[in-house]
Amino acid sequence: MNAREAIFAAINKARTESGASAAIAAEAQACSEAMKRTLPALDLSDLAALFTARAGAEKVGATLERVAALGELPAAVARYVAANNLAPDFAVQPDPRLRQLDWGALRPGAPLRPDSALAVGIALCGVAETGSLVFHSGSEAPTLYEFLPLHHLVALDAQSLLPRLEDYAVFARDLAVPRNVNLVTGASGTTDIEGVLARGAHGPGRLHIVIFN
Amino acid sequence: MSAPAGTFHDRVEKALHDPQLKIALERTTGNARRKRAAAVEAWPEFSAARAAAAAIKDHALAHMAYYLEMFERNALASGAQVHWARDPDEARRIVVEICKAAGAKTVTRSKSMLGEEIGLPHALAEAGLRRVETDLAEHIIQLAGETPSHIIWPAAHRTREDVAKLFDQYHREKPPAHDVVSMVGSARKELRADFFAAEVGISGANFLVAETGAICTITNEGNAELTTTPPRVHIVTAGIEKIVASTEHALQLTRLLVRSATGADLTQYTTFHSGPKRAADRDGPEQFHIVLVDHERTKMLSELPEMLRCLRCGACLNHCVVYRAIGGHAYGGAYPGPMGSVLTPAFDGLQQTRDLPSACTLNGQCKQVCPVDIPLPTMLRHWRSRSWRAGYEPKIAGAAISIWAFVAARPALYQLAQTFALPAMRLFAKAGWISSLPLASGWTAHRDFPKPPRQTFLTMIRKGNRS
Ligand code: SF4
Repeated sequence: MNAREAIFAAINKARTESGASAAIAAEAQACSEAMKRTLPALDLSDLAALFTARAGAEKVGATLERVAALGELPAAVARYVAANNLAPDFAVQPDPRLRQLDWGALRPGAPLRPDSALAVGIALCGVAETGSLVFHSGSEAPTLYEFLPLHHLVALDAQSLLPRLEDYAVFARDLAVPRNVNLVTGASGTTDIEGVLARGAHGPGRLHIVIFN
Repeated sequence: MSAPAGTFHDRVEKALHDPQLKIALERTTGNARRKRAAAVEAWPEFSAARAAAAAIKDHALAHMAYYLEMFERNALASGAQVHWARDPDEARRIVVEICKAAGAKTVTRSKSMLGEEIGLPHALAEAGLRRVETDLAEHIIQLAGETPSHIIWPAAHRTREDVAKLFDQYHREKPPAHDVVSMVGSARKELRADFFAAEVGISGANFLVAETGAICTITNEGNAELTTTPPRVHIVTAGIEKIVASTEHALQLTRLLVRSATGADLTQYTTFHSGPKRAADRDGPEQFHIVLVDHERTKMLSELPEMLRCLRCGACLNHCVVYRAIGGHAYGGAYPGPMGSVLTPAFDGLQQTRDLPSACTLNGQCKQVCPVDIPLPTMLRHWRSRSWRAGYEPKIAGAAISIWAFVAARPALYQLAQTFALPAMRLFAKAGWISSLPLASGWTAHRDFPKPPRQTFLTMIRKGNRS
């Protein structure tokens, strides 16, 4: 018997239960529903407001602003660059929605490097409950854009907001499974020294989110 | 790397004599307890949620073969290579062979308790590979030449002053200051180049998602993605009990796991990794290996089934009066605290580790905080009685221990005993029985277990922990 066979034989000896896959799926669904009934109530009338409150909470620590349309992103980036004394060169996630913007005097062509000061990206969607940005990796969303820069500035479509984690799971079921799904909740940090939270571990030290309509 | 040495008794003795240890443990676990309490307060139905989380894990474990097969099928379809290992030896060999085939010189690792359990750090060193731990706490203990002492905060036994000394000594560029933020920045600088030099990155997994064939990691620092994205090869090592049905179940469990561990709603990075780099991708590894490890888990399906629910959140450690007094190294295994005292006898054999299930006041705190409602005290008692039946306990102590165990196992009686049994315990002490109690002599000098003047055992431990 090889290792795989031995492990399955041992499992089947301990767990004789079997069942039709439809019955198992129904049981799984019932488990999810039971969990949902325990969740604290959320005010879902304004998802952007809920997202802003959660992502901006001290324990998540993102900064946020709202603009009327994606076309206003370059102006928001210019303000951020000025406020943080950053160079006007930065890396932009290769998403056509960002690449086609009019960046004016800014220089968005910088390559992404291990020590990039700033990268500008765009999220696939957001989860309001937790203030999380969701990225699915692919040619338009390389994973490292979320992890290399010191400052990560992310555009988030208000229309893409989902109320809860469960809603993201349902939404993702209809999409191809990417190499990486990243739920990003605040700037990188660590509590590894005495349980005290310090920002800017190996990922970005600052996360700024620009919500557009 | 020095694994904890000596007998359990020796290690407890040593820990109780270490004032720095006490400070470090109280700072870390105290912060964790406060933050968890705040998170739980914001979730009024938390105890119902714990039952629902237990049901989600039990569902996956009840259909373990079904879901593992589904996971394997979907992982293979994503281009992953799936390996199965019955025991740590097999698992280590698989990992080392993959590293060798990749021509690896440097291997980055993001924290994984399974990796510790199977002795991976040692195996990599033996194979002549340069191992770079990228999680901050793992980096600290790698510099110190130690093993983890907590499953969430491996450096929980180190104060910030200790860390400052280590970084001053070993970092190419000394930290500019010794506050926590400056030291975190120093580690960022120190490790940056290694993320890109490594040929292989190794991670663990918090969940194996059957529905998609993806593995899920839950981290704060960003080191996991930097460990698994740039190198040519990503190896995942995971216990087979990490299986869950779906992304939805994984996220629902994550909600409880993170609140119980750090008090946050989610950690900064919840990542699902599925297969190697795709044709159109601009980054990601060329090879993606998943090593699925049994190591006694299929046995636990019959013997300690609830233990397989464990999410490795660390809450039972943070709330354990014994852990808080002696720290993780005293336990001698990869997993300390209440959950470790249940797991280590299963992994290493009860005869050698039978002291662990006794290192417990049976106050029930661990079960109360466990996000998947694992009856840890019941399981510790299970080991105790197994040890009796197997004849592992020294005869002379028999009578005293059985009275103690009988009383301690019953919370109501234990309360009574706090009022009435003290004189009797003094008698035992005089007769020399108490010092033969497992642990007792370790506690006697420092916690006055057998001869408490006016106070009870628990109040003294509690007081000891505040002092
Ligand atoms: S036993 Fe429960 S509390 Fe302890 S680490 Fe496991 S899940 Fe957390």
